[in-house]
Order: sequence, then C-alpha cells, then structure tokens
Amino acid sequence: MTFEERLARLEAIAAELEGDDLELARALALFEEGIENLRAASEELAQADVRVQKLVERVDGTFRTVDASE
Amino acid sequence: MTRVEAPPPPPVSEFFDSNAYPGETAQTAVTVSTLTQTARDVIEGAFVPIWVRGEITDFKSHRNGHWYFCMRDRGSQIKCVVWNRDQRSIPAPPDDGMQIAAYGRLTVYPTRGEMQFAITRLEAEGDGLRRKALEITRAKLEADGLLDPARKRPLPRHPRVIAVVTSLDGAALHDIVAVVRRRAAGVRIVAVPASVQGDNAREEICYALDQVNRWGKADIVIVGRGGGAHEDLSAFNDERVARAVAACAAPTISAVGHEIDISICDLVADHRAPTPSAAAETATRTRAELRSELRDLSSRVTAATQSLIGGGDQILRRLGREVATNASSHVLHRHASVKQLAARLHALSPLATLARGYAIARSDGGATLSSTDAFAKGMAFDLVVRDGVVSARTEGVEKSA
Repeated sequence: MTFEERLARLEAIAAELEGDDLELARALALFEEGIENLRAASEELAQADVRVQKLVERVDGTFRTVDASE
Repeated sequence: MTRVEAPPPPPVSEFFDSNAYPGETAQTAVTVSTLTQTARDVIEGAFVPIWVRGEITDFKSHRNGHWYFCMRDRGSQIKCVVWNRDQRSIPAPPDDGMQIAAYGRLTVYPTRGEMQFAITRLEAEGDGLRRKALEITRAKLEADGLLDPARKRPLPRHPRVIAVVTSLDGAALHDIVAVVRRRAAGVRIVAVPASVQGDNAREEICYALDQVNRWGKADIVIVGRGGGAHEDLSAFNDERVARAVAACAAPTISAVGHEIDISICDLVADHRAPTPSAAAETATRTRAELRSELRDLSSRVTAATQSLIGGGDQILRRLGREVATNASSHVLHRHASVKQLAARLHALSPLATLARGYAIARSDGGATLSSTDAFAKGMAFDLVVRDGVVSARTEGVEKSA
C-alpha cells in the first residue's frame, strides 16, 4: 500500500468509527487495522534518504535509472 | 567625266535606328516587361535589406499561403508580401492596425508593375505578435478541452518518484533537488534530460515526456527550467509541448521560471509553479505536515474507538496521546522507537484490554451498554470477555453520584 492509500484508508476507518450503529467486533477490527496503518505510515515517513537519478532508455525501449553524479 | 555617286546606304528600317538607345525614340520603345524588369533590377540593386516601420492595413492571407498587406504612415504606403517560406520565423500573422517594424527587400512586382516590400522578419509593437500567437495556441487547446479546470488532477500527498524533465546542467534540477532534500523523506528524483532552449528544445521536451510515460513509474512530473528571456521560454509556449504535457499519465507541475508571464505549459499542467523550487515545494509535503496529518488521523481513530467501547477506561485516551506522540518528530527519526511503540499500542488495543480482565456489556441487538440508563431491572444482556460471551441479567441499577 502506498502512503497515499494508507492515509485514505485511515480516513475511511476514522469516518466509519465515528459513524453510528457500529458492531463492536467491526469497531475492534477497524481499530486494529487503523493502528497497523498508522505504524506503517510512520515508518515510511521515517525513511530519510533522497535519491537523485537519471532516466536512461535502452535500445530496446526499456528503461533503467542510474544514480546521478552531482 | 561625271563621277557617279555611290548610292547612299539604304536606311536601316525606320524602326531600328542604330544610334538610339532602347526607349529613346518611339522607334526604339521597350516592352512593358522590359520596363518593369529593369525597374526591379535597379531597385533591388539600389537597396540593401532594411527595417521599415509603419501601420498594417488590408492584411490578407492568400490561399496560396502568402501574406499580402500594406504598410503605411500618414503620407505614404507600400505594398508588402511575406512569402510562405518566410513566415516560419514570425510567431503569428499580424492584424490590421498593428504598428510593426518589418525587415525586407524593396522590389518591383513585374506582373502588376508595383513596388513591393518583401518581408522576412516582422516585429509588432508591444510584442503583439507573440501575444497573438499565444492566444491562437491557447484557443486551439481550449477548443480541445485541454484547459478545462476539471482536467486538473490533484497531486499525491507523498510521492515516492518525482520525474523532472529539464536540462541536466540547468539551475532548475539543482534547485529542485535542494528543496526536496530539505523537506521530504524517501523520495526519488529521476531527471529526464531535455534541452529547454534553442531549436531542439521542443522536440526534446516532447520526447522526454513521452519517455516518462513509457517508463510509467513517476508519481509526479515536473517540467520546466530556470528563468530567462522571452525567446528562451518559447518552447514552453509551443502547442506540441503543451499537448505532450497534457498527455502525461502522472500529474504534472509546470515550472517555467518566469514570475510574470504564464506559459502555455502552465495552463495545461495540473499545477503551475513560478519557479522550479516552488514546484518542488508543491510536489512534496514537509515531514511536519505529514506528521500532523497522521496525528489527526490517529486521534480520530482512537477517540472514536474509545467512545464506542465506552466506560471510564482511560487507556484509550492515553493510547490516543501516544499515537500522537508517535507521529511527532523525535520518534519518527528513530525507527526502533516507532516499532517499540507500535508493539505497545498493540498491547493497549481494546482486544488486549479484554484480555486484561475488562468486559464489554452488550445488548441483544449488539449495542454497547455503557451507561446505567441503558439497563433496566431484569433486562438480559451479554458480557463480552476475552474468550467469549456470557449471558447476564440485570439485578439492579444504581447510578453513581
């Protein structure tokens, strides 16, 4: 799941939890899923590196990326 | 003896007097063609190409592809032509009433016997032609729906791959990298080289954008260059470049590096940034922004869960605070702590709460009974405990003071 998708999922989970008439079991499951998403999103956010690369097209039309020497 | 005079030489014909130059006498009159062609030779020989200024009237774009019009001032006028092949360097056909400066060669059009100014370069006052060319391109793109605000796509909140179509040695790439380094985490910047000025810029930008599409891994595409003079930005006003930007599979940010003028590229792209640095800022959230977004979501999730579970259990409230702390700065910089915290969160989840000996009272319908108001003497209800459900009956109800 991408960071975007996790945020969207968390949004949906929060909205559902805030709604009425929620089965308890469902609420608990949503909560668990929410915590898992928060954890994963936090981890992704903690990755600090920024890579700079260059796109190179091969003769056969496929691509590779090479690190740019700054 | 009478000398016999030799007879005089017979007159050459009346019409061919050998001593008169062509056109001197009626007998030596030249043809109209000779006249106009000679005039042309003389005029063309007498004038080097020059710049002439005046106002345009009677502009016509003939179906043979050439442009015809008059240039005039208060006292005089001259017929003008711009041949089809010379129009390429002129951004757009001029309009009647435009004040122009035109560079060309004075000649004579023999067929009509008229003087004619054959123009190869043309500039309108106030950059009028370039603006007109922009309007024409803009109108075409608009007619195709490419400027429709509904086409504009939102940018992903946290892109992982940002493709940058620009010159490798230009300031734009450098600026973008600097900003992304400062702000965002876990981002890959993939430069896709293209000249951004000069004759090849249009083709190269279109080609680079096509490469990005075929590669297919970019979350955001930034196309642009640093600031420059008018001429330098012309590739970004090109119709084909604009169409290539519109055809991008990923959301686009145009950064043409000119605060004042808006380029055609800017209009077509999903987002416009005044400079490459600003584009990088638009493309990425700061970690603080993302953190606060996560914090809000975690508060909502925990608060909602807490209110569902009900009761005076403060654990979830604490949990909410801890998730919020989790998303705050120091933890995010330290992976280990995040993991540790996640483990603690798990231990504190409502399921774990049940495991520690709490029970949840539930009505037959499944609603959580969190207040004395929900009970009546004799009413049957369920107790959800760690490993199952217990059927229970209300013996009495007593509200705490």
